[in-house]
Amino acid sequence: MAGYFLRRVLGIVPTLLGVSLLAFGLLNVLPSDPVLTWSEAGAPMSAEGMERLRRELETDRTIAARYGDWLLHAAQLDFGRSLRDSRPVLELVGEALPWTLLLNLSAVLAIYGLALPLGWAGSRRPGGVPDRAARCLLIVAYVVPPFAAALLLQRLFSVRLRILPLQGVTGGEAAGGAREAIDLALHLVLPTLCLALSGWAFAAHFARATFRTLLDAGHLAAARSRGLAGLRLAWHFAPNAAAPFVSLLGAIVPGLLAGSVVVEEIFSWPGMGRLLLRSVDGRDYPVVLALLLFSAAAVLLGQLLIDLIYPALDPRLRDVIGSEASVRG
Amino acid sequence: MADHSRPALKPALAVLGTLTALGLMGPFLANDKPLLVSDEAGRLSFPAAAGFPVVEALFGGPGEDSGRSAEPPPAGSWVLWPPVRYSYRGVALQEALLSPSSRHLMGTDALGRDILARVLNGASISLLVGFGATLVSLALGGLLGGAAGLRGGLSDLLLGRIIEVLGCFPPFLLAMALVAVSGGAGLPAVTLAIGIGRTAAAARFVRGEVLRFRGGVAWSAARSTGSSLPGILLRHILPLIAPPLLVQTVFGMAQAILLESGLSFLGVGLQPPIPSWGMVLAEGRATLEAAWWPILFPSLALALTLGSLAWAAERGTTERHP
Repeated sequence: MAGYFLRRVLGIVPTLLGVSLLAFGLLNVLPSDPVLTWSEAGAPMSAEGMERLRRELETDRTIAARYGDWLLHAAQLDFGRSLRDSRPVLELVGEALPWTLLLNLSAVLAIYGLALPLGWAGSRRPGGVPDRAARCLLIVAYVVPPFAAALLLQRLFSVRLRILPLQGVTGGEAAGGAREAIDLALHLVLPTLCLALSGWAFAAHFARATFRTLLDAGHLAAARSRGLAGLRLAWHFAPNAAAPFVSLLGAIVPGLLAGSVVVEEIFSWPGMGRLLLRSVDGRDYPVVLALLLFSAAAVLLGQLLIDLIYPALDPRLRDVIGSEASVRG
Repeated sequence: MADHSRPALKPALAVLGTLTALGLMGPFLANDKPLLVSDEAGRLSFPAAAGFPVVEALFGGPGEDSGRSAEPPPAGSWVLWPPVRYSYRGVALQEALLSPSSRHLMGTDALGRDILARVLNGASISLLVGFGATLVSLALGGLLGGAAGLRGGLSDLLLGRIIEVLGCFPPFLLAMALVAVSGGAGLPAVTLAIGIGRTAAAARFVRGEVLRFRGGVAWSAARSTGSSLPGILLRHILPLIAPPLLVQTVFGMAQAILLESGLSFLGVGLQPPIPSWGMVLAEGRATLEAAWWPILFPSLALALTLGSLAWAAERGTTERHP
């Protein structure tokens, strides 16, 4: 068992290396010359200024040498400095990360908070009124892109009804304590809603299917006939239900990461998505590279979580892993 | 394979066909040039056919129009106008931000351009990028996934790793970075970037289908007759997976259209005056406080397109696994 965990954790190292190679290659092989782009994009540079910048970017060295250098530094968590304001990339990311985590956490809570009850209701009486209403709602959530939803919600709640802030993270006045927390919570509502939108349909669909298989299982009837009901029945099933719902998290991570860019930009949320967009716009390659790497790592970690949590929650899988250890590289 | 286990392809084909027709008809539905002009001598000309937004996006158009030509036709001639008599780039500042009315069914934007005309003409952009990107991802993914699945062994391990690495990048972020480094944010660059962004998903799909086939009797039968691997892929596997492939294409198109509109919305995709729905929405965002129509109608167009594609794909998959 410990061997399996170790193998899985070590297994992401070559993938992470491949990810870094691909990201680095993409940003360096392609024909776009950042120095030329900058000087064309409104910031005319002298020949020597361009020369100095080229030296800083080390465009004269081979890609392999630069990659080796970068990798060596990255392994020590040094991702270089931003080309725009020369601040360490890690510092920029560190400033943005808490905001992105807050937004994404709140979106995950919103997804689970709505999808689980809806899925439960749908699985109890398939085709019933709650089931059909939920499906209609989720179809809308699925087909309206997050940025379109964001604009429509901003228009409705911030411009027309004036009950929610249009954008940003605080109202400005430094109130402190509970007032500040409420202010932040209000600023969180619309971004959370928009970020959760794309995940809801999938999550509720998933929850419905999962609950149905769980309800169909013979041991439910067995537990019921033993007199288990209500919370105690739910507790009895929690371990079985938990594994799929943890894996759901891994499945929605990529969508959340991509959604963060759009949602953070629209709501002026000072997170990593906005940082990425600004860096892409300004051809700030060290930052783009680091952010690409981090998001790929987040996706990988999501998958790893699934692989690690399933056997931890499901004893049956441990036997399978034990017998097929050699197959699952 | 029994007949009832085949996916329902009719919805997919119907939705694709309708959308394609709408996309192709954009310039004929909304244009400030007449569809058909017959002059005094009875000679016919088709001024509207020249103004395809896709063509202008690829080869550069005449830029933004200013004003609309309204000279009366000479005697003895007749003119057939499209239903909407505005082009997607006809600027008329004196008509800026008009709310929906009988003249402008969806209102006008901040530059006085008719939003209905922009939405109608934007369909062809979305469809072209969606279809093109899906083709790119299926071609690249088919190559990667097909080779991995067919050859097995070490190749599968290596190619599988490549697919895994590629799949770690959220498609939207990958496409965004690709557009940025490729310099020009033209239609081909955006299409290619989205296609590459979605390659991993396509590769996984093809590899999975090929592996399923490899487990069956048909595989050993084909191998025993001495067929080459690419031959097996094209002659035996492709016909088998054509129906799910179509469903996958429809699903992929929805994703690609979503990606394109998102990129264009953020300003890292197509550039004005191409009437991509994402861009129309981004322009509507600038006047969010003043007007609702520039954001509502493009949103509806996107939602309808994505919804119908998703519906078609869903029908295909549910019928396949009853």
